[in-house]
Amino acid sequence: MPKYAMVIDQSRCVGCMACVVACKRENHVPPEQYRTRVLEMVNGEFPRLKSEMRSELCNHCDHAPCVTVCPTGASHKEDDGTVQIDRRKCVGCKACIAACPYNARYINEEHGYADKCSFCQHRLRAGKKPACVATCIGQSRIFGDIDDPNSEVSRMLRDNSYRVLKKAAGTRPNVYYINQFPKKS
Amino acid sequence: MELTITGANAITFPILHIWDWRVAIYLFLGGLTGGLMTMSAVANLRPGKVVPRDQPCCWRIPLIAPILLSLGMFFLFLDLELKSHMFWFYLTFQPLSPMSWGSWLLILIYPPMILYAFAVLPDELKSGMADGFIKRFADRMRPHLLRLARINFVCGILLAIYTGILLSTFVARPLWNSAILPVLFLVSGMSTGTALMIIMARKNEVKLFFTKVDIWLIFTEIMVLLLLFYGHYTSDAVHRLAIMPFFNTSHQFFPYFLSIVFLGIFLPLAIVLKFLEVTGDHSVELTPSGKFLMNASAVLVLLGGLVVRFALVYAGQLSGYGGIM
Amino acid sequence: MAGSFDRFWISSTKEDVMAFSRRNFLKYAAMSAGGTLLAETPFLSARAREKAEGGNVRYVPTTCEMCFWKCGVIAKVVGGEVVKLEGNPLHPQSRGRLCARGQAGIGLLYDKDRLKVPMIRTGPRGENRYKQASWDEALGYVADKLKGVEDKYGPEAVALFAHGSPGTYFNNVVRGMGSANVAYPSFAQCLGAREVAWELTYGQGPNSTCERVDLANSRVIVLFGTHLGENMHNSQTQEFAEAVGRGAKIISVDPRYSTAASKASMWLPIKPGTDLALLLTWINIIISEGWYDKEYVEKYTTGFEELKKEVKSYTPAWAAQETDLPMRQIVESVRDLGRYAPNVMLHPGRHFSWHGNDVQRGRAMAIVNALLGTWGRPGGIWLPPKVNLAGFSENPEHPKANKDAVVFGDYPFAGGEGLTQVLRETTIKGDPYPIKAWIVAGTNLIKTMPKPDLTRRAIDNLDLLVAVDVMPTDTVMMADVILPEATYLERHDGLFTITTREAGIALRQPAVAPMYQSKPAWWIGSELCKKMGLEQYAVKDTWEGRMRRQAKKWGIGFDELADTGYVAIPGSAAPYITATNQPVFKTPSKKIELVSSELEEEDFDVIPKYEPIEQPKKGEYRLLYGRSPVHTFTRTVNNQWLWELKKENEVWLNKKEADRIGVKNGEIVRLENQDRVVSEPVRVRATERIRRDCVFMIHGFGQHSPAMSRAYNRGADDQKLITRYKVDPICGSTGMRVNFVKIIKEA
Repeated sequence: MPKYAMVIDQSRCVGCMACVVACKRENHVPPEQYRTRVLEMVNGEFPRLKSEMRSELCNHCDHAPCVTVCPTGASHKEDDGTVQIDRRKCVGCKACIAACPYNARYINEEHGYADKCSFCQHRLRAGKKPACVATCIGQSRIFGDIDDPNSEVSRMLRDNSYRVLKKAAGTRPNVYYINQFPKKS
Repeated sequence: MELTITGANAITFPILHIWDWRVAIYLFLGGLTGGLMTMSAVANLRPGKVVPRDQPCCWRIPLIAPILLSLGMFFLFLDLELKSHMFWFYLTFQPLSPMSWGSWLLILIYPPMILYAFAVLPDELKSGMADGFIKRFADRMRPHLLRLARINFVCGILLAIYTGILLSTFVARPLWNSAILPVLFLVSGMSTGTALMIIMARKNEVKLFFTKVDIWLIFTEIMVLLLLFYGHYTSDAVHRLAIMPFFNTSHQFFPYFLSIVFLGIFLPLAIVLKFLEVTGDHSVELTPSGKFLMNASAVLVLLGGLVVRFALVYAGQLSGYGGIM
Repeated sequence: MAGSFDRFWISSTKEDVMAFSRRNFLKYAAMSAGGTLLAETPFLSARAREKAEGGNVRYVPTTCEMCFWKCGVIAKVVGGEVVKLEGNPLHPQSRGRLCARGQAGIGLLYDKDRLKVPMIRTGPRGENRYKQASWDEALGYVADKLKGVEDKYGPEAVALFAHGSPGTYFNNVVRGMGSANVAYPSFAQCLGAREVAWELTYGQGPNSTCERVDLANSRVIVLFGTHLGENMHNSQTQEFAEAVGRGAKIISVDPRYSTAASKASMWLPIKPGTDLALLLTWINIIISEGWYDKEYVEKYTTGFEELKKEVKSYTPAWAAQETDLPMRQIVESVRDLGRYAPNVMLHPGRHFSWHGNDVQRGRAMAIVNALLGTWGRPGGIWLPPKVNLAGFSENPEHPKANKDAVVFGDYPFAGGEGLTQVLRETTIKGDPYPIKAWIVAGTNLIKTMPKPDLTRRAIDNLDLLVAVDVMPTDTVMMADVILPEATYLERHDGLFTITTREAGIALRQPAVAPMYQSKPAWWIGSELCKKMGLEQYAVKDTWEGRMRRQAKKWGIGFDELADTGYVAIPGSAAPYITATNQPVFKTPSKKIELVSSELEEEDFDVIPKYEPIEQPKKGEYRLLYGRSPVHTFTRTVNNQWLWELKKENEVWLNKKEADRIGVKNGEIVRLENQDRVVSEPVRVRATERIRRDCVFMIHGFGQHSPAMSRAYNRGADDQKLITRYKVDPICGSTGMRVNFVKIIKEA
């Protein structure tokens, strides 16, 4: 069984929002709701500025607080390492939304269940990459099997120093970030 | 820093926005019910029979408790986004989920509560009744009264403490994420329960007894509240930031500042009032003004309990784990 | 050095083009196959994918029109509904990826505010009173009115404004009648000056569909105001990100810290309007420090000695003062260029009509590129593909125009796309002859041209304004007759010749049938021809039929094209100079003209000369405008999936300036320009990301048409504040960054 993970090369993100719209169309996310977002952070004073571009999504944590708090088992961890939601079982108590340190979840306004990024599980099953990865203009998002040493994600994590978001929260995320800032050659 | 977020959900940005007054009231009523269960059990178990069983607080409170709990659960139900899926709570048990424990607990608490209500029905009331199911069942429960009272005592504590456990388990919400929080909710639940007992009680000595109990509970509540804040203050940046709204007078956080001011006045004032009551001369019947003060201080305690729930439910949603980093 | 070249996106070997695209496939497939379960089958054709997936799913390869980059897109259709759009991996403009706008094409198709039926105006202009009409009635009405204008004023009184593919079809109406008054804002309001500058220097522009910039292989990329990332041209941005990821040096010359600047190793926050000072100084340094490619200059250019003499006076110290940049930055940036030449480039830019001296600025950029020998070099400007497709027409030649067109004004180098503002002026003045009817196809003129009040005045002078469009834009809602065009997902267009490193053919074909009563522009144009008695210019049968015949003539299998969306022309790619692949310069001297002989003939400066332009007074800010990655001008602001990501624009104001004038971040203000025109309310973005002497707004907001329900009254209209423009004397393009605004606090 693979263990899916995403590596995000922040230096290659140009903030074009292709991922955001691709995700929404692929997963029928209701208007004004999102499974992925893009942050742009600029520090410094004119003209000495520094910018970080970062796309965020569900981290599919190994120690997922959303799974722990779910009272019905709707939120669960699957064998492929992804965190998924069984919509039939969700009662909409919103505990998982409170539990997620990454604010990755929302209540689907059209259907009422808690919702979030699924790593495009339906696409993975068809052998395709998640929609955001497939369309990422800067090829900033890289996806694959972290248990396979030959996969691109494994190679990326070997060759680069990486970080995860809110490491101290102890969630052990499966979304890794490399190149926080563009290389200044 | 200049931050632009594109694709944020209103439910989590700029602040978490999931639970509102419905959940605050549910938590308040849950705690209050727990306090009532425990305190009415105390009233009946009290060695030396300080509190005669025909006192309204002894038999009416066990009747009111299940109604208040049901009302609380109704507010919780109102908050569920997929009400039709509610049965899933009871088709599974998730050992690590406090809400799963809570949903089962709420169900399991009802039988001893209701049986207890039957057991405490006073004889005068029963004698006026037709010889129906209620009277016969109440008669059958009466011999188990003390056993039921003991069970209710424990269940009341479990219920009150549970209302704080749910919130305390979220690593993502630092204000809630403290083991002190369930203790605070427990003590607060007990003190509000006691306050309602005082209001419901008729007899002088009963009122005085629970007033004495409440003094200790409110004192503990103030201590625990201070410890909660102090614990956060001495913890990491994430937790220290979490209590900031309570100590910030800016427009944005004014309600939280106000809540602290209220608690800072209500609870000590209630203690002072109660202290005056118990040290006063009660050889004669309570004067109407004395009665009023006693009830007023109890109302202050109830209000304080409500403010604690509202303030913490809302302020907890302002706190996040480590901001955007 | 050689090592890092290995990682380049494309190598310069002269392989067969088909093999070249297949190699990308293999790379793509290999990348996917990395994960044990992720073994995506590469897209080979729509039919093959349908077969592989089975079920009720159809895939339709077509061409995007959310902007004008012409990306290949594959529409996924389930049960007659377009459910997803993806980039066509075979198409070099998209390479399997689509930007946010491309993904949101469905939002255009299913926009409830779309124009649905032909409409004829019943009330006064601009009051939104229309009656629905049948196509027969509407086209009959248009034909009658056009004939009326023709009878009274002559055919030249009919003019066409267009953008994108619909223009093609209405040319037959207007030119068929005997008028040559056709103008596209893409010239005078956009990239005309750039095209002319490069044509004068190299005999050829850098290609408007896809600039021939070899970003993927470049070592140093200089962007003058070009904000790639925010300016989301798909394949170009893909290569830009590739360059950034690879560690290429990006030098961003921009008064604003754009996304591109945030990726740059050097940001030069230049004083607006002084780019030419920097460029001329760079030329001086390149020559005096010997960074130029001596062999290349010797072999391919003329006028070097004259240039050398001319730029002597432009010293770094002077430039530092003029451009408000540190001298060190000026010198270091150009040395980086020199050090890595020729694998470097000055990106030619795109929207170029800034200050009215734009051709000369473009010339200077072209000259720097020439001195560094970037034209035809890896990482520079690649050579156009070798393609020789015969012209194709099924209609007779248009008659000779009754009277000379006015669209070229008095500008010797005005391009074939014409000057919109001259056409507008003529409409107002009636001189040299009256213009009484406009057909406006696919362009929102009021939000496109400077001085929108003049556009309105011109419209007031018309006997007939016909608008052909998809959305009820401000301009459409001024029209006498509104003809609802089908969206790009519902119609045929093409064939398109796509010239990237290779040449290829693409097409547009419907994913679904036109919704409501909308019709493809080819049909509207053709039917109008018939109604006008111009049957000879009508489409023979259908546009698809025409495309089939065109493909046949070109030796391309139409069915294959319809199945894959893109067919490369084998052997066309020849991007770099080699011994056998020599560049051809179509200038009079057949060389790169550092000194322009054509400008000499017309009495312009043969080498760009710097002249300072007017700068804002204290308390005034130069109004700059640009783009958001999720919007294409006003075309997308009502699209649900894009609107929600960027509902309104802000005015970027330097933080210290904001503090100085007492305006807070997020506060709502209005802008007032030098002509006392006041903007709609707009939020301030107090930021360190912009100079103190200018403000910036994203263009395209402030829709006045209530029929655009989401976009209506959102944000502020920058075009309204552009009441002053400086016309480039060489090509007639309208420099629009010459307006100054004050911030007015809302009471």
